[in-house]
Amino acid sequence: MRAILTIALKDLRLLARDKGGFFWVLGWPFLMALFFGFIFSGGNDDRAAMPIAIVDMDQSDFSRAFTAQLEKSAALHASAAPLDSARLLVRQGKRAAYVALWPGAGRSFGFGGGDSAGIELGLDPSRRAEAGYLEGLVTQAIFTTMQAEFRPGGTGRTQIQSSLASVRADTSLSASEQARYTNLLTNLERFMSSLDSTKGGAAEGSGAATSDTQASGPNIKIVEVAEDESGPRSAFEFTFPASVMWALIGVCMSFAISIVDERLRGTFLRLRLAPISRSQVLAGKGLAAFVASVGATSFLLLFAAVVFKVRVTNAPALAAAVLAASFCFVGLMMLIAVLGRTHQSVAGAGWAILLVMSMTGGGMVPLIAMPPWMQAVSNFSLVKWGVLGVEGAIWRGFSWAEMALPLGILVGVGAIAFTAGTAILARSET
Amino acid sequence: MSAIFVQNLRKSYGPLVAVDGISFEVQPGECFGLLGPNGAGKSTAINCIVGALRPDQGEIKIHGEADPTQPAVRAKIGVAPQPIALYGDLTAEENLRFFGTLYGLADGKLRERIEMALEFSGLAARRKDRVHTYSSGMQRRLNLVCGILHDPPVILLDEPTVGVDPQSRNLIFDNIEALKRLGRTIVYTTHYMEEAQRLCDRVAIIDQGKILALDTVSSLLREYGGTPTVEVEFAARPSGLEDLGGEWEGNRLRVRTERPLETLARVAGHGDAFQQVRIERADLEAVFLRLTGKKLRD
Repeated sequence: MRAILTIALKDLRLLARDKGGFFWVLGWPFLMALFFGFIFSGGNDDRAAMPIAIVDMDQSDFSRAFTAQLEKSAALHASAAPLDSARLLVRQGKRAAYVALWPGAGRSFGFGGGDSAGIELGLDPSRRAEAGYLEGLVTQAIFTTMQAEFRPGGTGRTQIQSSLASVRADTSLSASEQARYTNLLTNLERFMSSLDSTKGGAAEGSGAATSDTQASGPNIKIVEVAEDESGPRSAFEFTFPASVMWALIGVCMSFAISIVDERLRGTFLRLRLAPISRSQVLAGKGLAAFVASVGATSFLLLFAAVVFKVRVTNAPALAAAVLAASFCFVGLMMLIAVLGRTHQSVAGAGWAILLVMSMTGGGMVPLIAMPPWMQAVSNFSLVKWGVLGVEGAIWRGFSWAEMALPLGILVGVGAIAFTAGTAILARSET
Repeated sequence: MSAIFVQNLRKSYGPLVAVDGISFEVQPGECFGLLGPNGAGKSTAINCIVGALRPDQGEIKIHGEADPTQPAVRAKIGVAPQPIALYGDLTAEENLRFFGTLYGLADGKLRERIEMALEFSGLAARRKDRVHTYSSGMQRRLNLVCGILHDPPVILLDEPTVGVDPQSRNLIFDNIEALKRLGRTIVYTTHYMEEAQRLCDRVAIIDQGKILALDTVSSLLREYGGTPTVEVEFAARPSGLEDLGGEWEGNRLRVRTERPLETLARVAGHGDAFQQVRIERADLEAVFLRLTGKKLRD
């Protein structure tokens, strides 16, 4: 085992020092994922802001002001939509949530009660962390809007005066009731006026008001909208699986050429003359390629998950897909390495095979965008099974039974290719 | 027991017979040369001996053990292959550590052997430099010490001085002579007859896969080298030397004789002024020419 690890570490060190090889293993796939990801998504994603839809069914002064507040928020990327569309957008994962103001919400300033409906917040149950954050932003918008409404000339003051006039004119009320309501509204009106005369009262009072009012709080109803998992949420959910395949192709070619290089330089002969078996030499090579493959693909997928919020619906399945695909391409590497005796012949044969596999297997054109005939052709490409395995664990929501086919093909073909490659190498060397 | 025993070794690549039934034995502590032109079958023979190639027929034993592919046997063998078999993107120290580890060296022993190898090859000052920055002579020296890092009793050196400058060549010669003094058994392939003549106790002359002659250098010279020649160029052609025989070419006399010094004394005692004197002794080049009808570097 020590010999295998020694050979593997040597190969990884050589790969790290080979800037060109390192670029093809990590840099190129990374650029491919970003380039096509931005192309397919239109390149206008504002990833710093949470994308939400606003449904204004109230159409009151309050609801319009509230909507404007949300649209002004730097933390949100808000756009108006009808309720059905908003729910669909959330289900499709194109919006993180929707905020709906039901008719009458403006009369209660979002606090609901009586016959007034409140505010509805619709989001996917898996986004609980974002739910709290969004609820806070909505509450802040409510209070900011209210504060504006109760300034002189605001609709809140008008509403008090209008209510006062209605009470005085209402003959159905008893004299004592009329006096009580008139007294309440007059005092409220005086209180609002006294706040106006307090220097800085509006700004400083907002914190206290928020605090007080939060004791009861606005009536925000959270509605769970289960996200539809049947399609990719963003272009990055299919460009990164493709980039994983490019990384594997890069590792495959780098190591295949390194084997030819070792044979030509004589270092392979020196390895074989060491007191270790041929299988240990080849296992060391294979282990290095496998570690490089898993490392490069893990980095790409981790980056995709953290930066582009690419989902991982089944982490164990994703790990299995990465391991199986890496194993498969290590086997291919061994076979490609013996397709010629020079750099040119191996590089030519290797790229010819792998580019065709990539083109037909979803490395360039996403599998979901392929016409049926091309999808049928892609069955012959190992890239397709690799992409399918990774996508199955990311957004296709494959069960283990569904994962079995791509994983089985990858492991099976990898084992056959590795065995064939080592057998040809052994025969050609003796 | 011989250090290396080779009996009727044969290896062909398709219709090309690279090694055609060669046999020889190398005794412990002996430096044995395989002298022949490029393509004579020297490297193929070496690769068969160390187990890198499977011979079509024949028997090979290293210290009495028949299978050179066994790790225990390989541990007794050190090889410096003809190509510079090093990793250019690793430093000298990293190359040595890598190959040393594969040969089972570890910890203090590995460090000690790496220090020894760097000193031995004169590369200690460049130990941290990547090998691709070395001159070909330095690479050759490192190629040699990578093969002997594990201190094997049997060392096979396949053309270890190809493409090196005279300084590095002399350093390599010094290294090999030091290994001889340490009692190591060495098989040395070359197409440079001066190297074989200087370093080897016995030499096998090989061409087209066959050993044409095998003996000590002096015996080969005696048997196949021909008679030494004395060549004297006079200011003017003298008289009285007719009994020496030889051939005259203008004022230049060439005499083939088993006793060149006596012939030279006779010429000097004759009293005539001469401008140039030369004694041509046979060398392995002449032996090869005699045996094959062609020069070593043809």
